[in-house]
Amino acid sequence: MKFWKYFGLRLLTWALTIFIGVTFIFFIPRMFPSDPVETMIGQIQSRSGQMDPQQMESLRRSLRVQFGLEGSLGEQYVSFLWKGLLHFDFGPSLMSYPTPAGEIISTYLPYTLMLSLFSTILAWCVGNFIGLLAGFRKDKRSSKIMEGIAICIYPIPYFIIALVLQIVFAFLLGWFPLQTTITMMGTTADYIASLLKASVLPAISLLLVGTGWWIISMKSMSSTTAAEDFVLYARYRGLSEGKIGRSYVFRNSILTQVTALAMSLGGVFNGSIMTEIIFSYPGVGTLIQKAILQSDYNMILGCITISIVAISTATLIADLIYPLIDPRIRYS
Amino acid sequence: MRKFLSLLLAVLMIASLSGIAFAEETTAVGTPRTETLIVETQTPTDVPGQFNSYMQGTQMGFGIHQLMSAMMWEMDTVKGEQFGEVAEGMPESNEDFTEHIVKIRQGIKWSDGEDLNADDVVFTFNMIMSNKGISQCDYYNTVFASIEKVDDYTVKFVTKESFPRLALKFGVTIWGNDCRIVPEHIYSKVEDVTTFKDSEPVVAGPYTVKAYDELGNWILYERREDWQNSTVGVVTGKMPQAKYVWFRYLGDDTTRQMSMINNEADILCEVTPEILDVMTSYNDKIACWYNEFPYATSDDPCSKGLSFMMGKAPYDNVDFRWGITLAMNFDEISMNVFDGVGRASCFPILTATSAMQELYYKPLLPWLENEFVLDLGDGTTVKPFDSGYAARMAQKLGIKGTEDELIDMFGIGCWKYDPEAATKLLIKAGLEKKDDGWYYNGKPFVINMTYLADTEAQAGRGVIAAYDQLTKFGLKCNLSSESSATWDTNAAIGSYDIAGYWPTGGITRDLYSQINGWDADLIVPLGERGSGQGSRWNNAEATEIIHKLAKVSATSDESYELGMEFVKIAIQDMPFIGFHSGVKFVPTNSTYWTNYPCAENPYNGPWWWWSCFKYITTEITPAA
Repeated sequence: MKFWKYFGLRLLTWALTIFIGVTFIFFIPRMFPSDPVETMIGQIQSRSGQMDPQQMESLRRSLRVQFGLEGSLGEQYVSFLWKGLLHFDFGPSLMSYPTPAGEIISTYLPYTLMLSLFSTILAWCVGNFIGLLAGFRKDKRSSKIMEGIAICIYPIPYFIIALVLQIVFAFLLGWFPLQTTITMMGTTADYIASLLKASVLPAISLLLVGTGWWIISMKSMSSTTAAEDFVLYARYRGLSEGKIGRSYVFRNSILTQVTALAMSLGGVFNGSIMTEIIFSYPGVGTLIQKAILQSDYNMILGCITISIVAISTATLIADLIYPLIDPRIRYS
Repeated sequence: MRKFLSLLLAVLMIASLSGIAFAEETTAVGTPRTETLIVETQTPTDVPGQFNSYMQGTQMGFGIHQLMSAMMWEMDTVKGEQFGEVAEGMPESNEDFTEHIVKIRQGIKWSDGEDLNADDVVFTFNMIMSNKGISQCDYYNTVFASIEKVDDYTVKFVTKESFPRLALKFGVTIWGNDCRIVPEHIYSKVEDVTTFKDSEPVVAGPYTVKAYDELGNWILYERREDWQNSTVGVVTGKMPQAKYVWFRYLGDDTTRQMSMINNEADILCEVTPEILDVMTSYNDKIACWYNEFPYATSDDPCSKGLSFMMGKAPYDNVDFRWGITLAMNFDEISMNVFDGVGRASCFPILTATSAMQELYYKPLLPWLENEFVLDLGDGTTVKPFDSGYAARMAQKLGIKGTEDELIDMFGIGCWKYDPEAATKLLIKAGLEKKDDGWYYNGKPFVINMTYLADTEAQAGRGVIAAYDQLTKFGLKCNLSSESSATWDTNAAIGSYDIAGYWPTGGITRDLYSQINGWDADLIVPLGERGSGQGSRWNNAEATEIIHKLAKVSATSDESYELGMEFVKIAIQDMPFIGFHSGVKFVPTNSTYWTNYPCAENPYNGPWWWWSCFKYITTEITPAA
């Protein structure tokens, strides 16, 4: 009964978070002092010179109807809740009309997920492992070196690392392409090879910084846990260091890391704008940036709604698996 | 440690050399590098595989209109004259310009072997007029009563009212034109042309799509085997030299530079002089329009300067606008923008391209120097034109040349720097000068100056330089940059005081298309969006000329005379302070390809993003 109450409360929180989040993201872009129709007319004019006044008026009328900006705000909101939130149909991208925003997002999302998911999970595993060793065996020289490296890398902004990697390995050495060129021509193996080649540097730039953070946070928690009485008691009992590390220190330190991982996993849907820009890597991050600059309401809604749902769901899952990891929650 | 570093350095150098050697063989898309011309596109596309120009969102500048599109009339950018591409010559109109006979050029075939003829032209126009989903639909219906086939190679256009500018409106004058002829035998079978992506396009241009990036970063074009039957083949008889043209998005400025230095790109769109300097210092095959100063071409038809919001006081006052003009030292502005590079383009609304300088600027020189005076309001006058700018800049920068060469480089002159006259004009306009600054209507007077942050370095630097000048003069100014999210909206609703908009553009002798937006009848109240110029210049004389010009043939002498009259009125009323014509640093890399258009060989302008690029491809030759 207690579990169902716990589950129900978490579910309610999840639904409320999503509802409030998407409501904000629906109204805020519409309060911007910008207008997608004027942005598009401006773009057309800036590249093709002055537009005939009659032509401009016709174009403006036509675009307002096509973009669905004629209805009241309330109507647009209700339509969004029904179509966007419940069916993930965000309507056409205003800047790439009439291509649906969802279609464009679904083209880029797999690349963002592949890059960010891979680098986030790998960074989490490696960082926590090293952090555990550094915290549990903090007096060893190897632990101090690992912690030192993490402290050095962590504060460096990831785009600086990305730039350095690009200059050394792509510009000077030519081992990797300067910009992402994924070729769909040839065999599947060619495609995968070009994809991997294009993803290595962006992934490393994200991995290095991510790992540094996990090392530092895990080291801090595991060193605190390692000084707890129950760890001391385990040593008195004669348990092996490996057993103490795994079952006593690791299990007690990993809880907050799981929550942080869940938040990070939800965040991967946002992409990594600077990495994407530096390597011209296709991703949701630059899609959001462009959508904001061009007042593409539907695209903004699509990207951020997916992100809100992902982060909320990841947090919900983390909350639900807590009892499995920590008996104290299960029995409380 | 030293041994380790030496070893590491050696490994890096060997690997670097091997990397470059490998890069020389093939491109990342598998084509031979020596047969592939690599051209930068300015932005990636969100809709890869979409080549239908009548489906919104198609990014025409991604090589689509440069290499594949069929235009009715194209532009000779050097002469500033149109010529027929799909059309055979210019339209023949009746006396009142309501019926226009257009001959279609014979011999052009679509890339699937079908003839391009009158059926395609008639179908395209009627397709636009009958599809509400095509953004030009309303406008075409406003203009045309009917478009009919006379015979296989003749089309009759009937307009609802007198329309003397058929070729100018539906042909290319600068970047391109929205009217692109489509193959009737393909598009007539499509249920909805506004949602038809046309992923395997049948084209009349010299190149077809070989492959494209499904993520929108590049498109690879291949020369048609029957290029002789393409628009370019039929018009020029010349073969485009590159077998492949690879349009690719190169990313941020750092990556663009590195790509060019590493010979991974042949042509970039536009860079700043600082970026050009870095690139040329690393790779001596990289060059610009000129090999030496001024490096950049000044023939881009959009001059940059200061736009006034004339829908409110005191910006609606001509004395105020002239006061601001004379309060600034243009020599210093010029040095601040691009270190003195650029042709002065001081006329409002009319950019000083080479053609315009000959057509309008130079003929007006005697009037400017001898007749044009400003009344300062205290019984004195001033002649505001300064013809010594070219000579001064040449001396300052150590440039030698004949008078004609210097005028071509720096322009015929600029507006004087005359703070005393500026002070009198501002006072005449109702401002008051006190010990602690300028006042208007009893309140401290502040000018809000804005510029676009994301792009257009020339425009942005111009506004910053003007801010320095006006502040030095004693005016209180606020300076802010805007993102593109709000820039165009603010232009439309008039939400600015002075901003770095560029409301000019055009290279044709007939000025109608460049100036018809300045019609005062189109002005709407501040806060509303109108179809005319957002700066709300209300000048009855100028409006009358625009109305007269609308009914006059574009090729007539009357058109030119009215244009000249308009320019004089604009100068007297100063609705826009022009600084320089569009200064473009457009770099090319001659490692694999040579004979790009340049100052020594100006067979075209360096306009890779314009539709005329297809005519440049016949001249660019392999370097080896």
